[in-house]
Amino acid sequence: MNANAWVITLGAAFAAGTPIVLAALGAILHERSGVLNLGVEGMMLVGAVSAFLAADAWGNVWLALGCGVLAGGALSMVHGALTITMRANQIVSGLALTLFGTGLVKYLGEPVSGVKIPARVVELDVPGLGDLPILGQVLFRRDVLVYATWVLVVLVSLYINHTRRGLALRAVGESPATADAQGISVTGVRYGHVLAGGLFAGAGGAYQALARAPSWNQEFTTDGIGWIALALVVFSSWRPGRALCGAVIFGFAIRSRFTFQAQEITVIPNVVLEMLPYLLTIAVLIVISTGSTRQRLGAPAALGRPYVREER
Amino acid sequence: MEQKWWLHVMVPLGAVVGALVLGSIFFLFTDRPPLSVYSKMFEAAFGSRDGITDTLATASPLILTGLAAAFAMRMGLYNIGGEGQLYAGAIASSGAALLWTDGMPTPPAMAVVFAAGAFGGMVWILVPALARAYLGTSEIITTLMFVLVADRLLDYLILGSSSYWKDPLSFGFPQGKVIPDAAQFPPWFDSRVTVALVVAVAMVLLLWFVWAHTSFGYGMKVVGDAPHAARYAGIPERRTVLVTLLISGSLAGMAGAAEIGARAFRLDPAGLRLSIGFTGIVIAALSRCNPFAVALVAILLGGLQNAGQSIQTASDIDVPKSVSLMLQGAILLFVLGGETFVRYRVVHGRSALRAAGAST
Repeated sequence: MNANAWVITLGAAFAAGTPIVLAALGAILHERSGVLNLGVEGMMLVGAVSAFLAADAWGNVWLALGCGVLAGGALSMVHGALTITMRANQIVSGLALTLFGTGLVKYLGEPVSGVKIPARVVELDVPGLGDLPILGQVLFRRDVLVYATWVLVVLVSLYINHTRRGLALRAVGESPATADAQGISVTGVRYGHVLAGGLFAGAGGAYQALARAPSWNQEFTTDGIGWIALALVVFSSWRPGRALCGAVIFGFAIRSRFTFQAQEITVIPNVVLEMLPYLLTIAVLIVISTGSTRQRLGAPAALGRPYVREER
Repeated sequence: MEQKWWLHVMVPLGAVVGALVLGSIFFLFTDRPPLSVYSKMFEAAFGSRDGITDTLATASPLILTGLAAAFAMRMGLYNIGGEGQLYAGAIASSGAALLWTDGMPTPPAMAVVFAAGAFGGMVWILVPALARAYLGTSEIITTLMFVLVADRLLDYLILGSSSYWKDPLSFGFPQGKVIPDAAQFPPWFDSRVTVALVVAVAMVLLLWFVWAHTSFGYGMKVVGDAPHAARYAGIPERRTVLVTLLISGSLAGMAGAAEIGARAFRLDPAGLRLSIGFTGIVIAALSRCNPFAVALVAILLGGLQNAGQSIQTASDIDVPKSVSLMLQGAILLFVLGGETFVRYRVVHGRSALRAAGAST
């Protein structure tokens, strides 16, 4: 077996994992505030098409990325208005958003179907480090957004666990009534983090559109990675660090099918590898809901429930 | 809370108008006259005999997935995986049709297709249902994950392998094997309406009967509203949860069978991915789990999808069929927003003070 092929696969896993991590980071912030987010896929799709259209119009990759991020944020505000202010069912609102996003993307993306990416995110060869054996190949020949994502994972983790605002976020997600009594604005915190979720999802979608695919493809725009990101959030028990590790595992499962194909290995059917992220998530969910380990599940206690001050 | 009767009419209507206005913005953005697009869509969906029958045909699987979601939602369970159970039902029903129905008369062959579909959907929800009933694992994420597993399986059976479902003669463009004639639902009255509509309507009546007139339906209500009371009353909580989810899954599986028998006639991965299962959840929510309302909402959304399909082929205005999905999503979002006005009464000024005074 060719070891080099596996090194390349591992490297590709990092790249494939990046949009998933971005969206998952957003969903973690979003859901830690107690608002369930089944609209990730929709927000990513809208982020992707906005970024692509912007790149097509202006040819500037950073401008395009910004457009994608803002579009994801704008869509998340619809979710916020419906679920926080109007107390609509969070599951239904998220799914409706994904349906709307899917339709909108097909409508807006239709004129550019098959068009080549006008501006790509360039790969960065970190001087010196890129030539290291194995590690250089895996870690240091990626584009700048991959590195930015790693930094973001650390920042989000620090934010949630070691800042005042992070504490307020966790309080709102676990017990909004208590947080309210402490003088924390439940509505404000939720809106803020729902917005963050949308911005991150938009970034993930934009990255997928600008760096991952060679051209705009109507059918496989994001390849369902919004759903994978949701799986990752559960898989990682709503923790950013674990989400990064999980994304590499998921990314490896996604990418290794190509390596298996190239190496003509048929020990594991590709279909099993493709299903692996989802099956792992199901297994993790079932295992953590048995007995004593239940406490460590980490799901925000108020997840999915609207906060009604008068009813506390 | 008691609300003025007209709110229940005005809010959904207002939501539709709001969504159409939002859609117009996108149409203007791409140089398409909104009014002529809308009039063509309405014409296509409800303006002619063919339009109406096509709408009913499109609505049939939507009624089934809507009922699937509603059945679970009625007792506070969220089966988000109707889409996956639909795929599984399609896989099972097309497999069964290929295996057994060759040479059969049509009625038993159609029964085989529906039974296999229901079985496939039930198998697909089995693990989430058992985990929910006996371990308390949230069914929301597990059912959703099984959608993605089914999605991969669907591609694998036709595109990734030479499975029993794949037509061995399709080299360049892999396709599913066409099911035997007996298993293809014959169209009625020179239209696209088939037995699938009758099955869907029969399920509406059946679920209404179960909810309103059986002890199981009563048990579902008690377990959903007051689990503690259910335990004291000796209603088997776990078994009720398990059976409810299994029935929900098999209803979605029957929608997959309807897709195979009435429309696709073969396992067609791309053709099945119409978000029928996901739409079912929204239909259930909009109709507040009332089976008759499920049918009504499904027919309206079916009309919208059907309209999208037909205006794409209309030559003069060139609108992609995705507009119907976009409008559908927009209507749902507006209806969700409008619900607030049905659930809460907005009062202001002096009457607000009086209302507040009266309630304390």
